[in-house]
Amino acid sequence: MFSRELKKGSTELLVLALLEARPRHGYEIGKLIESRSAGRLQFRIGSLYPILCRLEEKALITGRWVEKPGERRRRFYRLTRAGRATLAAQKSTWQDFTGAVNQVLGGAHA
Amino acid sequence: MPDWREHVRQHLRLRGVRPGREAAIVEDLAQQLEDAYRDGLGRGMSAGAAEQFAAGHIADWDAFAREVAWNPAWRRGRGLLAGLPRDLRFALRLLRKSPVFTAAAVLTLALGVGANTSVFSVMNAVLLQSLPVADAARVVVLRTTNPAPGTGTVDSHTTFSYAVYDALRQQDRGLTVVMAHVPLAQSKVAVRYGAQPEEAEGDMVSGTFFSGLGVRLARGRGFSAQDETNHALITVISHNYWRRRFQQDPDILGKAFFVNGVPTTIVGVAAPGFEGVEAGRSTDFWIPLQSRPELNAWGNAPEDGKTYIADPAWWCLRLLGRLAPGVTKAQAAAALQPAFQTAAATGLGHWRAGERKPVLSLEDARRFSGSATQYARPLGMLMAMVGLVLLVALSNVTMLQVGRNAARRREFAVRLALGAGRRELCRQLIAESLLLVAAGGALAWLLAGWATTALGVWANIESSLAPDRTVLVFTLGILLGAVLLFGLAPLRTVLASANANRHPARWRHGQAIVALQMAVCVVLLAGGTLLIATLRNLENTPLGMRVDGLVVFGVKPESFHSVPESITFYRELLAKLRALPGVEAATVVEERLGSGSSDNSAMTVDGRLPAVANGSRTVRSNVVGPDFFHTLGVPVLRGRDFSDADTAASAPVGIINEQFAQRFLPNQNPLGHHIGTADGKFQMRVVGVVKNHKYRSIAEAPIPMAWYMYAQIPVIAKMDVELRVQGEPLAILPSVRGVVQRMDPSLPLIQPATQRAQFDTTVSQQRLFARLAGFFAALGLLLVATGLYGTLAYQVNQRTVEIGLRMAVGARRGQVVWMVLRGSLALSAIGAGVGVPLALLTGQALSSVLYGIAPASAPALGFAILGVAAVAVAASLVPALRAASIDPLQALRSD
Repeated sequence: MFSRELKKGSTELLVLALLEARPRHGYEIGKLIESRSAGRLQFRIGSLYPILCRLEEKALITGRWVEKPGERRRRFYRLTRAGRATLAAQKSTWQDFTGAVNQVLGGAHA
Repeated sequence: MPDWREHVRQHLRLRGVRPGREAAIVEDLAQQLEDAYRDGLGRGMSAGAAEQFAAGHIADWDAFAREVAWNPAWRRGRGLLAGLPRDLRFALRLLRKSPVFTAAAVLTLALGVGANTSVFSVMNAVLLQSLPVADAARVVVLRTTNPAPGTGTVDSHTTFSYAVYDALRQQDRGLTVVMAHVPLAQSKVAVRYGAQPEEAEGDMVSGTFFSGLGVRLARGRGFSAQDETNHALITVISHNYWRRRFQQDPDILGKAFFVNGVPTTIVGVAAPGFEGVEAGRSTDFWIPLQSRPELNAWGNAPEDGKTYIADPAWWCLRLLGRLAPGVTKAQAAAALQPAFQTAAATGLGHWRAGERKPVLSLEDARRFSGSATQYARPLGMLMAMVGLVLLVALSNVTMLQVGRNAARRREFAVRLALGAGRRELCRQLIAESLLLVAAGGALAWLLAGWATTALGVWANIESSLAPDRTVLVFTLGILLGAVLLFGLAPLRTVLASANANRHPARWRHGQAIVALQMAVCVVLLAGGTLLIATLRNLENTPLGMRVDGLVVFGVKPESFHSVPESITFYRELLAKLRALPGVEAATVVEERLGSGSSDNSAMTVDGRLPAVANGSRTVRSNVVGPDFFHTLGVPVLRGRDFSDADTAASAPVGIINEQFAQRFLPNQNPLGHHIGTADGKFQMRVVGVVKNHKYRSIAEAPIPMAWYMYAQIPVIAKMDVELRVQGEPLAILPSVRGVVQRMDPSLPLIQPATQRAQFDTTVSQQRLFARLAGFFAALGLLLVATGLYGTLAYQVNQRTVEIGLRMAVGARRGQVVWMVLRGSLALSAIGAGVGVPLALLTGQALSSVLYGIAPASAPALGFAILGVAAVAVAASLVPALRAASIDPLQALRSD
């Protein structure tokens, strides 16, 4: 649906955004992206998991094992302080960017 | 339910991951796959379909493992190296797209760095480089405090008598070897190879010279102690001379080579690159120390029949030594001190009580030992100047770079949003900076090579100034600094661009930098103006004679040994020269005018040394021929000029200048009084008083002077001939050469020059300094102008909307132009405010080299301020006019 490049480039932003409200575990993140985009964005574990690794390497998120009764323990990811700052920055530029692009596109139609 | 952990373990082949981390990854992945499996079931899939669905999440396990398992550190390193070519390609494309920016940055950088490299090259060669000899760190120069009274010295700190040399070389402590060297002439010496007489630079050296320095011979042999003892008539020529004069003739060894008419045999060619040890000079040949009068040290005539070897009171030899292993300079000097002080008293009897004995010290041998102090100060000042130029250049390019990257903020913002790391952006910026600096640096190196050669020519430095490793390191250091500066200065802006659209405080920084640049420019301009005014003052200084139309050259006959013989020679020579068509007058003079040297001594007046209340008894004297003042065009105020009638047979006569008369014979008619040498041996009657005029140099102050008639005193060596000719002075030389060679075929004309050019050499250093200072001031101004233009143009661009709005609500074009101009004038005012006090300090620092202008010169400061303001206006005018021509409607729509 969307080009691979565009999707890949914006995934970090999406992951960070989804972790803003609360910590989530890996599969949940993929599911949320899918449901919130009404199925238009789909990430397999194979593409999402390396991004989690990368964000963790950059210390933008950090993972923690959480055990709940009756379930296997899961690794929950949450934003670090740096992650929160980066998210704020990237969000506003992204909005500027898409806004600008929309304006251009809108201008072209008018 | 499938065992997902087992599934992951089967498929995942991680390399280079810690076991603990691997286990965590396996567990995390297994859990996620299990979640997917359950998810599949939840969507109503069969167990098999759900298992396929989950397993399908990771299709290519190898690719997945590579993405996950990369060791971060390794990945960073690899990423840097892998990404660099791509970044460079991208940077190249960007730079090519903005050719004006690229050209401006590269050129600015090349000028700034090139100027620094060339001045540093000279400074390095002159002040830092060691001699190009084996184990140069152990080679030392011998220095002394002032030698005892009653001795004559060439240089009071670096020359020694033969007696001292002889005593020191017999010591076996401190130094393993002592080497002596002394030029055969003040400048060049007459030589002959084949039929054609010519001149070359030659040194007499001790037998230890080549072996002690460790200079190898490219061909043949060097000198031995035996050669020195026997005063062997053999010659070693420099590799450069061999190449230049003998076209690398392979059969040169064994050929005859005449030095001052004395036949020697060429026995060796020194190793390439060895130019001798005379500071700033390039020695052409060496002969062992000699004892014959034709080959006296410095080309001087033997005094009282004694050459330098027999004259313990003449300190004329330069000495080098090689430190014994494990001995420091101080220890060696202490070990030699007693022998030195004993030898220093040779010929003087013994040290009187309370007399300060000379003290020997040792100093590292450098290529410019001895004359380094002469160059140190001007070079230091030039270095400071080009440092300022570099500062302006670097800040210019930085501002250009920051401005340009500010315009690219959107690009960076998007790249950050798309997941580019700070590291990648940083690398990109560094790549761009690297390209710019590489181009600028390469151009700078070319410029510097050219500029260094020019500097060497201007400064009369004959030895090679080719850059060595120190210069390379210096230049690379600057360039590396520039790469980091240009790369990282925009980084803040770029990273800030991710945060918001707000304008950072960058613009205020830009203005501060421009104001500072203007301050630097005021300093450069004021300093340059002072030096150029100095030069003009020097060049316009009246010399007290009609200097145009005078030509001067040296002649040094060697074939006769008695005084009457040489007097006859010169009388004949003058008669023949006067007969040449175009020659109006001719005379001889012992110390060439404008050569920087003179005979200085106290003189008796009417038999006694004059008592002078305040001031010196020093008289500068010279030995001259008939018609001397007439030939020079110096007015004779009283009495007469010397004439051909003044001979050895007639009563000795002398001439003095006004200053002499005023100081030593005040309020009386000087004619008829007797003046003479301090020892009372020679007396002469004053027959003339002439107007004060210049002797040694243009800048000298009036001083008492006296002239002896050459035919009446016993010492005659080399004389210079002064000719007053019609038309172009140098055009007479071929016919003059013909006359001289008909009299003696082995005589070259020594250093022929116009008298004007000769005087000009005495201000050559000031001229060089002033030209360079002027050039660097202009360069600084140009750079400031381009920087200002760039900054203002950028500012006007940024303010397009504001200006449009102002014009839409009724601002007139003139008001907009004034608004922009006012901004830059305000900046120049701030610059001047900061610059003037700095310029005053600079003037103080320059005061010792100024002539005829005060260090705090209002015109110079005024010129500097006006210059900077003019540049500010000129650079603002284009952006101002552009701002005024903005169409308000378009401007308002533009953002």
